[in-house]
Amino acid sequence: MSLTKRKDTLPIPPVDAERYTTVCQYCSAGCGYNVFVWPEKRSGTAKSNAFHVDLSKQGDIMSGFSYTETMHNVITRKNGNRYNLAIIPAKESRINKGDYSIRGGTNALTAYTPTGVTKDRLKYPLLRKENGFVAISWDHAVEIIATLTKKSMDKYGADSVAMKFYDHGSSGLGFEDNWGAGKFFLTGVKTQYLSIHNRPAYNSEVWGSRERGMHELNYDVDDARLADTIVLWGANAYEGATIFYTEHIMPNLQGGSIDEKKREFASGEPADEGRIVIIDPRKNATTTVSQDISAERVLHLRPNLGTDWILANALARIAWENKWYDNDYLQKRTDMKTFEDYKSKSLELAKSLSAFLADAEKITGVSRKEMEEAAAWIAKPKAGGFKRRTLTLYEKGIIWNMKNYDQVAAIAQLNVLTHNVGRPGTGCGRLGGHQEGYVRPGAPTPGSIYAGGPPKNVDKYVTGGGGKIYWVGATDPYLSTPNSKFFKKSVKKRATDLLDYLDNGGIPSDPKAYIAKVLEAFEKTDGLFMVVQDIYKTHTSEDAMLILPAAGWGEAVDTSINCHSRLLRIYDKFMDAPGEALPDWKILALVGNKIKALYTADGNKEMAARFSGMEWKTDAEVFADGAQEFGDNRATEAEEARLSAECYKGVTHEMLRKLGNEGIQTPVRQDPATGKLFGTKRRYQHTFASKDGLFKWYGTDAWTGYPAEIAKYLDNPTYPYWFTTGRSQHVWQTMYHDKRIPEKLMTVPLPYLEIHPDDASKLSLNTGDMAEVFNEEGSCLALVYVNDATKPGLVFGIMFHAKGTMNNLTSSYTDPKTTIPWYKGTKVGVKKYYGKLDDAIKTVSLLSNNDFRTQ
Amino acid sequence: MSDISRRKFLQTTSASALLLFSGLGRESQAASVQSYPSKKIGNIKNLKVNEPLAFNYPDNNSPCVLVNVGKEASGGIGQGKSVVSFSTRCTHMGCPLTYNNGRLVCKCHYSMFDVSRNGQTYQGLASQWVAQVVLRLDAATGNIYAEGVEGLIYGRIGNLKLS
Repeated sequence: MSLTKRKDTLPIPPVDAERYTTVCQYCSAGCGYNVFVWPEKRSGTAKSNAFHVDLSKQGDIMSGFSYTETMHNVITRKNGNRYNLAIIPAKESRINKGDYSIRGGTNALTAYTPTGVTKDRLKYPLLRKENGFVAISWDHAVEIIATLTKKSMDKYGADSVAMKFYDHGSSGLGFEDNWGAGKFFLTGVKTQYLSIHNRPAYNSEVWGSRERGMHELNYDVDDARLADTIVLWGANAYEGATIFYTEHIMPNLQGGSIDEKKREFASGEPADEGRIVIIDPRKNATTTVSQDISAERVLHLRPNLGTDWILANALARIAWENKWYDNDYLQKRTDMKTFEDYKSKSLELAKSLSAFLADAEKITGVSRKEMEEAAAWIAKPKAGGFKRRTLTLYEKGIIWNMKNYDQVAAIAQLNVLTHNVGRPGTGCGRLGGHQEGYVRPGAPTPGSIYAGGPPKNVDKYVTGGGGKIYWVGATDPYLSTPNSKFFKKSVKKRATDLLDYLDNGGIPSDPKAYIAKVLEAFEKTDGLFMVVQDIYKTHTSEDAMLILPAAGWGEAVDTSINCHSRLLRIYDKFMDAPGEALPDWKILALVGNKIKALYTADGNKEMAARFSGMEWKTDAEVFADGAQEFGDNRATEAEEARLSAECYKGVTHEMLRKLGNEGIQTPVRQDPATGKLFGTKRRYQHTFASKDGLFKWYGTDAWTGYPAEIAKYLDNPTYPYWFTTGRSQHVWQTMYHDKRIPEKLMTVPLPYLEIHPDDASKLSLNTGDMAEVFNEEGSCLALVYVNDATKPGLVFGIMFHAKGTMNNLTSSYTDPKTTIPWYKGTKVGVKKYYGKLDDAIKTVSLLSNNDFRTQ
Repeated sequence: MSDISRRKFLQTTSASALLLFSGLGRESQAASVQSYPSKKIGNIKNLKVNEPLAFNYPDNNSPCVLVNVGKEASGGIGQGKSVVSFSTRCTHMGCPLTYNNGRLVCKCHYSMFDVSRNGQTYQGLASQWVAQVVLRLDAATGNIYAEGVEGLIYGRIGNLKLS
C-alpha cells in the first residue's frame, strides 16, 4: 500500500566498522556527518556497536542521535564486495549538533549502487556517434579534447575555448577541484570567456560589498544566536539553509540564547529574545515559522521587485536622521572622503526626509511606518544607550535582483553605518546557497566596472556564434541559465551543425581521424563542440559531443568551508567512484598534461610552461599546491582583514582529518611570533579589507525604472503578473540526485507555481491544476498551488526542476556593472491548462507549505 | 540540537504529549521479533472526520494516531478509504506530532506530513516519511485492528526490537 519502499529495521555497524568524517554535500549550512562502512553480512549488536549508543532502548526525543531509513544504503566496492553504508548527522558538530535537513538526511541514498536509483551514474567517457553516445577509453577522450583544445587555441586564439564550471565547495567538491580547474582554464588556456556554474560570467556576486572592503562571509553561527535582531533579506533561511535557521536563528527567537548573550554582552546591556526582520516579497516558510514562534517579534516587509536598494537607503536615512550611528566608529574605520558621496547619493541629504521617504514609499511599496519600524529594529540603541546588535544576511533575492551591484552595496553600507559588523551578534553578508572552496589563480576580470570590469557574458558569446569549444562542468545551463529557452535553442543549433558535419559519411572512430574532421568542421561551420563533465547525464549533455565522468561526494577527498562560520573541514573519501569516473581535478590534470606534451613536442616552451604544474598524484598535493595562491599569511589577529577569506595556508589534509568535525575557520593565519596556526571566528573587528583598512563608501544610483528587457511588459495586459522564483526545501539545485529518489520526486513532481487566491479565482485556478506561465522569452508548464505566500499581482515559481525550467521566462538582462543577471524578476501571463496530470496528483501532497498553524 | 529547542518543545507541546502518553492502551503487547501483533484500536462507527484517536502500537512505548481524514487516503480503510493511522513520533528527531486538518505537524522543527499521502513530508526537515500503521477493518463489527507498521518508528533500530 505504501507509495515507496519502506524498511522497519536497519543494520547495525559493528564496533570496528570503518568510520569517516564528512560534511553534507548540500547547502551553505555545512552540517557535520559521520560515515560508517562495514561488510554487508556483519552486524554489531544493540548494546555493542560503532555508534556507541544503546540501541535496545527507545531513542530519546532530540537526543542528537538519529539513524533513519534514509540514512542507510548498501554499496559495492571495486573489490566486488557489498558493504553497508550509514551516514548520520554528527552530534559533536557545533554547526548542526545532531540536527539535519531533508536534504542531508538523504545523503546515503545518493551513494552509487549498481542496481539502485543512482545506477545510471556516468562510468566511462562517452563520445557522441551517429546514433547516440558510445563509451571510449580515457586515453582516447584525453587525446581528443586535449588536441582539439590546443589546435583551437593555436588557430583561433584562447578565446575560442569557453567554459562554465562550478567554483564552490560541498556537492561540486571544493578546494582541490577548484584549484585544478583554475590551473587549467586560468593559467593554461587563459580564455576570457569563463563563467561560473550558475551565471553567464566569471564574477563575484557581491562586488558591491567586496569593493567596499568587506568580504561577505564575515560572521559566525554564534552571531545568529547572539543578535538582538536578525535581518533576512531575500534569503529564505528555513527552506534554503535549514539547519542554520533551526539551530541558530530559531533558538534566538525562542529566547533560548539569552544566557549566551549575557555572557558575551557588556555589563548591564539588555539581553532579550531575538527579533527578526524578513524582507521578501513572498510570505515564505521562514516568515510563517518565525511568526509561529512569536508574531510580535517578526517584521515582514514586502518590497516591489527590483527596489530593495531604495529600501536599504531609506532605512539608512532614518538611522541617520535619528543619529543611530557611532560617529567615532565612522571616523576611525571608514573613509570619510567617500562618505560624502554616500551622503549625497544614497542618503540624499539635500532632499527633505519627508520627500525622500515619500519617494521611497512610492518606489518600494513599503510604508514609511514599516520602514521606521525596521530601521529601529536594526539600528536604534537599546535601553541604557547600548548599540543594538544586528546580523543582516542576504542571498539570491538581493544578488539576483535588478542592479546587483547597488543592491549589495546599499545593504553593506546600512550595516556599516550602524556599526553592525565586527561585533558579537552582528555581521553583514551572504546566507549562501552551497558551501565554498575557492582557490584559483587571478581571474581575468578583477572586479565591477569600478575595478577593471565588467566580465564577459559567455552566454551571449556562445549563443551569438562565439567560441569553438564550450566546456561545461557540474552544471546544467539548459535549466539554470537566464533566458534558458533561447540559450538552449542557440547552443543546440550549433551543436547540431557540428554533428551534421561530422556525420557526413560516418563519424570516424579513430581518434586522429575524428579530431581532423572536427577541426574541419570548426573551419567550415558555425559548430560548437560541447564537453560536459558531470556525474550524470544532464539536460545540457543531450547536445554534448564528449561527456567526461566525474567522481562525486564521498568518492574523493575534498575540503570546503561552510558559509556561516567559514569552517574548513575534510569531506573524506569513503567509497569508490563508479566505473572509471575520476575527480574533476584529475580529469583536468590529464588533459593539461597532454596539452603540455603536445606543446613540448612542437618545441613551444612558452605554451608548455602554461600547462605545467598539474602533475599532482593525490588530492592532498592539489590542496597543498593551491595554498600557495594565498601568499604570506603571517598575521596577527588584528591584521586578519588583509587575508583572503578562504586562506588555508599551512593546513593539511592530515591535520583536518585529526580535527574532524571541529575543523578550523578560515582565514587561517600563522602567528608571526610562534608560527602557530589560528582560525578566524569573526571578521573586521579591527580594520576592513582595503589598502588603508578603511571601509569605502559608494553613492548608489537613483531609481530610474526598469531595464528595457522588463519595461516592454509593463503596460502590456497579456503579461499582468510580476514573476519571481526561488527554491523548494526538498530538492537540491537541478535535482540531479533528487529526481532519482522516489520520495523526493513524488513530493515535488513537477515545476510549480504559487498564486494568490484573488488571482487564482480570476483564472478559475485551483491547487492541483496545471497552468502555463508564459511571456515573450518562453514558457513553462507548472503545477498550481493557490496560497497566500504571494501577493495579488505576483506569482512565484520554483526556479528550475528536472522536468522544466522557469528560466525560460527570465530575460537576458544583466547588471551592466557586474554582468550578474536579474533571475528573480520579470512579468508573465498565466493560463489554465486543460486537464490534470493524474499520476503526479495521486502522489503529491497539495497541502499549503507555508501554513504551520495547528489551532 | 539546542537546549532551547528542547525546553521550548516541553513548554509548547506538553498538552499534546500528555494526550499521547497517558492512560492509553491498557492491554500490553509484548514485542515480537517474528511478527507484528494484531491489536484492536477502535471502531469505525465511532470515528468522526478529523477527530484523531490516540493509541499505542506495536508496544506501549510507541504513540500512534488513528484518524478519518474525510477523503480517500493512501493505505486508507473503510468505505471512503479515508481511515489511516500513523506513528506520532516525528521521524526527524522524535518529537510528538500533532494531528491537524489532514496533516501531522511537529513544532520542534516544523516538519509537516500529509496523512493522505503515506505520511509524506510535504514541508520541513524529516527526510523519512512518517511510519504508517497497517490497518484491518472487520466489516461485521466495524472494529479496526492495527496489524503492522510500514516504515521505521523513530528512535528504533527495528520497530519490534526494543528490549
